[in-house]
Amino acid sequence: MNPGALAGRKVLEITDASGAYCGKLLADMGADVIRIEPPGGDPTRALGPFFQDQPGPDRSLFFLYMNTSKRGITLDYTRPAGHALLLKLVRQADLVVESYPPGFLARYGLGYPELAAERPGIVLTSITGFGQTGPHRDWASTDLVAGAVGGSLYVTGEAEDPPVSLAGHQNHLMASTTAAASSLIALRHAGRTGRGQHVDISIQETTLAVSHISGVGKWLDDGIIPRRVGSGLTASVPSGAYLCQNGRVYLMVNRPAHWAALAQWIHEETGNQEVLDPLFEGPSSRRIEYRELLDLFISELTERHTVQEVFQEGQRRHIAFTPLFSPAEVVRDAHLAARNFFISVPHAAQETLRMPGAPYHHDATPWAIRRPAPRFGEHNEAVYCGELGIRPDALQDLIDQGVV
Amino acid sequence: MIESQHALEGVRVVEFSQGMAGPWIGRMMAWSGAEVIRVESHRVPGVVRLYVSPHEPERGIQPEMSPWFTDWDAGKQFVAINLKNPKGIELAKRLVARADIVVENNRAGAMEKLGLGWDVLKQINPQLIGLSSSGFGNHGPHASYVTWGPNIEAMSGMMQMSGFPHREGATTQYAYPDALSALHGLFALLCALDHRDRTGEGQCIEIAQFETTVAMLGPEMMGQLNHQRPPVKLGNRSQNMAPQGCYPCSGDDRYCAISIRNDEDWKKLGALPELGSLLQDPELDHLEGRKRETDRIDQALTAWTQARTAERAAEELQSLGLCAGVVQNTEDQYLNDSHLKARKAFEQIPHLKKGEVTAVGIPLGLTGTPGRTTRAGAALGEDNATVFRDLLGLSEAEYAQFVEAGAIEEDSPNL
Repeated sequence: MNPGALAGRKVLEITDASGAYCGKLLADMGADVIRIEPPGGDPTRALGPFFQDQPGPDRSLFFLYMNTSKRGITLDYTRPAGHALLLKLVRQADLVVESYPPGFLARYGLGYPELAAERPGIVLTSITGFGQTGPHRDWASTDLVAGAVGGSLYVTGEAEDPPVSLAGHQNHLMASTTAAASSLIALRHAGRTGRGQHVDISIQETTLAVSHISGVGKWLDDGIIPRRVGSGLTASVPSGAYLCQNGRVYLMVNRPAHWAALAQWIHEETGNQEVLDPLFEGPSSRRIEYRELLDLFISELTERHTVQEVFQEGQRRHIAFTPLFSPAEVVRDAHLAARNFFISVPHAAQETLRMPGAPYHHDATPWAIRRPAPRFGEHNEAVYCGELGIRPDALQDLIDQGVV
Repeated sequence: MIESQHALEGVRVVEFSQGMAGPWIGRMMAWSGAEVIRVESHRVPGVVRLYVSPHEPERGIQPEMSPWFTDWDAGKQFVAINLKNPKGIELAKRLVARADIVVENNRAGAMEKLGLGWDVLKQINPQLIGLSSSGFGNHGPHASYVTWGPNIEAMSGMMQMSGFPHREGATTQYAYPDALSALHGLFALLCALDHRDRTGEGQCIEIAQFETTVAMLGPEMMGQLNHQRPPVKLGNRSQNMAPQGCYPCSGDDRYCAISIRNDEDWKKLGALPELGSLLQDPELDHLEGRKRETDRIDQALTAWTQARTAERAAEELQSLGLCAGVVQNTEDQYLNDSHLKARKAFEQIPHLKKGEVTAVGIPLGLTGTPGRTTRAGAALGEDNATVFRDLLGLSEAEYAQFVEAGAIEEDSPNL
């Protein structure tokens, strides 16, 4: 296996559910990421659903996905002996990623100044609901609340329903991805100047940035507050989900040429003359007031066909029609299969776990799952004895005292 | 040691990009100190530039005024090259020769057709880092298909798996796959840069936005992959927290999002008189009980939220140590959110035509090397002279020849 683009980078990760994906991104690209869990048990190991529906510390699907390629150790750094061990680990690290409330690590003598004193040039990346400063810095947050204050919830779902969350933990994942990118920018700077820094990621702000396509600049210009409007996009006409004989397709028209191709197809199949009216030609803004009428024209076309027919013929005509898939359809999609997207990762003795694979493909240093998510305390001996030079009997003492 | 104020100083990025998924990467890199040059053409103006201002609809499309263009392209330099012209291709190659990074997000195969495929670019610049991002990637049965962000939202299962159980799905208004693939693209490029800084080796990166979006549903897809069972559609509820939801407050379309994270949170909720009687029920002391009885709890919580504004509800709950927040729209965020204001979460950017515009800030949180955006609102080809003469070293005469040949596009024809 190629060691990966980040081979040699050493990372300590002290995160909850909001920051675990940051470490996965770094570890799958080859960084040595050590996840530090409390000796009493890591709460994210208890997040269901579980592999084969059997609960257990090494069976949470969330944990098994978010912690691939990492090593895992246990440590109570709030106690003096644990604190000293953490500082030893910090001395060997380039980056610490954490996602506890602002001031939490500082309270235990592990704030940025202390870490930098131990290891000059270190980068500390903190992922929190509201960031390290400002009047709400101590406010509690979850993925849902981040979506609320960040603005992604307000513009998702049906107009007549309350705002609704996307599946999964999307606001946390975007904060983690931003944190991973920002950490590498800070590491590059540290490598060139010797100066590390504290990276302050606010999940409210990453959510705001991710959902900003319906954001402030446009509103200041046109005074229209973006709202939930169902499946279509307000600014793109036509767009949305359309019924076929056996399911639904999604259509998006942004370019004048795409509209012309769609109008021509509708005309050919349904005999509709009106759809060719020059009134509808040009950029989306020209069609906004005719949205409902155009939706009707399009449905007359799609309802004559299956999803596959609309997808294939639409794409042949360079129109952005795609199927609206269920998860069952996604996992048997021919394109993903041809690209070997889904992968198998060993779990316990004879079991194999299937999961989504590479989010990007580097041709020189490919993404890879380096090892399955660590079992609870799996790398205690390797890290404490092998790397910090602690004698096995001394490690046993630390375990007995509940420090490890 | 180098003294540099901006973290990505010295990195030069050349973009052949469209929409958001490609350009937002360059925008974030420019903010962090990179020099970013975007190649455009008057023949195929980017869809983001097709903006008709509501203040002056009679003026038609005004490419410099688009707020989307500010959001995704501020801080860059803009050159206009006709890539259908052999001399234009020559110029593009000379730019690539001087670049560290090339970003493109055109339809798969489009760059090859122009004669700017990766094997060509790598020969010009062996240390080059390239990113190619498209809906389906460069190979596979759907590789050449046309998609936009919402198409991928539909195809990835994101749309169908999201939303309330009684609905067929939920769609965002923000073309989520564009943003998520841009952030993954930024990270992927920085990985390659880290590798090149240490080994001197360049490489190309391929992103299929379809795959990246499915990867955002990892634990959910694993249920389907390993147990042939789709995830239970929960709306705003959670398998691991109850109650959780968006609760209606006083006013039109006003909601407060609330998460009761654990049993301790539940006890704290007893401070609200409307919830008092429920707190006596031992069934509700644990998660499973509260999940069974969520409807009953939601009713009581709604009675409490409806009697106050969303702002008041969020503040009261947070002061009890509970997790809550106003479901904010753009106006709330910009005008009323004192926290975002204190953190300067919006960026004021000098605009060549309007004077100044406001955009959502870049959330990279680099406290030691804060970024900045120099300008917004440049026209197509605004920086032709600067880039071609100063960077590529074209003489006046050579420059004129490229213009004469139609390779450098100087004038803006009517769109």
